[in-house]
Amino acid sequence: MTAALEGFLQALTAGLLIGAVYGLMCVGLGLIFGVMRVINFAQGDFMMLGMYAAFYFFTALGVQATFGNAFGPFVAILLAGPILAVFGYAIHLVLISRVSGTRTTSLEGEGHYAQLILTLGIALILQNGGLIVFGSVLASIRTPLSSSAWELGPLFNDISVFVNKARGIDAVVSLVTMILLTLLITRSRLGKSLRAAADNPTAATYMGIDVDRAHRVAFALGTGITAIAGGLLATNYPFHPFVGVEYVIVMYAGVVLGGMGSIIGAFWGGMTIGLVQQMSTLVLPTQLQNAAIFVVFLLIIFFRPQGFFGRMVERT
Amino acid sequence: MLHIERLTAGYSAIPVLNGVSIKVEQGQFVAIVGPNGAGKTTLFKTISGIVRPSAGTITFEGSDLLSVHPARRPHLGIAHVPEGRQVFPSLTVTENLEMGAMTEAGHRDWKRNIERIFEWLPVLAERRDQFAGTLSGGQQQMLAIGRGLASSPKLLMLDEPSMGLAPTVADFIFERLIEIRRQSKLTILLVEQRVAEALESADHGYVLEAGRVALEGNNETLRADDRVRKAYLGM
Repeated sequence: MTAALEGFLQALTAGLLIGAVYGLMCVGLGLIFGVMRVINFAQGDFMMLGMYAAFYFFTALGVQATFGNAFGPFVAILLAGPILAVFGYAIHLVLISRVSGTRTTSLEGEGHYAQLILTLGIALILQNGGLIVFGSVLASIRTPLSSSAWELGPLFNDISVFVNKARGIDAVVSLVTMILLTLLITRSRLGKSLRAAADNPTAATYMGIDVDRAHRVAFALGTGITAIAGGLLATNYPFHPFVGVEYVIVMYAGVVLGGMGSIIGAFWGGMTIGLVQQMSTLVLPTQLQNAAIFVVFLLIIFFRPQGFFGRMVERT
Repeated sequence: MLHIERLTAGYSAIPVLNGVSIKVEQGQFVAIVGPNGAGKTTLFKTISGIVRPSAGTITFEGSDLLSVHPARRPHLGIAHVPEGRQVFPSLTVTENLEMGAMTEAGHRDWKRNIERIFEWLPVLAERRDQFAGTLSGGQQQMLAIGRGLASSPKLLMLDEPSMGLAPTVADFIFERLIEIRRQSKLTILLVEQRVAEALESADHGYVLEAGRVALEGNNETLRADDRVRKAYLGM
């Protein structure tokens, strides 16, 4: 009994920690979809670039030497965010803006077909380009914190829960990033103008908001956020140029679970997936982790098709 | 203030507007009336830059408006209160008004504007923290007008503020508009299907039919015109 309870608490803790990072990862995608209504298939590969950016910042660009092995990785990850945001900004400026925003409002399907093909193409280029540039060897951002833990407890009946130090810091960094983003979106003039542009692009233009610029900012923010989440995952999981494919499905599941268009919803969607993934190991073999995610996903969508925070308010 | 000369515009090949010329002078209240499909909304969208004209010119305060990016036009002092209200449903009433104040002038005058808007349209003050999507049609229309006023406009363009509203609500909104104009001396360009009310309060009117100006004049000449009386005033 005690052993079972301990196992449950341990899985719950692991789920919450990984869920916080998955949540942040989903928020990046959710922000882009929420503001632009663009389905971005390359989001997982932007995350892969974020992982490599953090990796090279850490190993090759002196972060390891300056900040040490324990906290260097987190500094490198926080540097990768802005770099990928700039990358996202440029990708939007050069490519995405040609098939989205005010250019396409009068087209059939608002240019969604072109968007699908374009982002899929970007994904393929990044994956194979990554293979050429980074090689196929598994990389990882090693920190001694990944292999040590804090012990919480004994809580009661001599039960203790172990919190992996790297994952604990990952979750805290995720939560802080999420809180800052939420404040930006809800409180700042910039954030409010992004929401207005999402609600009604034409009316936003009547307010003097440059909708294409708002989209570019959202795309940059979303890319940067996902890159940070990627870097955090990389402290525990090795990665390779095709790693995006594994995560992009989780991202979409999280965004749909949370409710398309809701940023806070995307976070809880990602959190749910993290929890289900870790808790499922209690009763199912590890190979069925992803199957468990999608069974729960289907169940939730069956009973609540709009997702947790899906807006029922009509888009005018 | 706003001079539109021989404007031709439309969607794809078929022009909706065909050589329309309209003038709005500083301080004037100009009404454009006409049946559905006459091109009234297209005219407004062309002024705001959502629709590109194929011929003609628009000047605002003496300078060419068509070369200005659509998102810059509100900053020049043109507020567009669109057809069907188009408030931001997932933003609160206050946030909607803040969006109106995205212009430089609106940002500067925010404090003074918000006081006046809440005084003119008290229902917005009562519901300031409510999501705009949960307001009634009349309240949304008042919010759309308030949002336009929050930009500190020189010219307020109103596209069918009575559309889809109960007659008493529409009357109330007209009464508010006249009061707002009396106090603010704002230049107003109004598009309306409620011809009698629109012509009654306007200084100058245009009748738009099938993309052309069929008739223009001050409110007395228009209201005395036989065609207007028969077609629009039901007399």
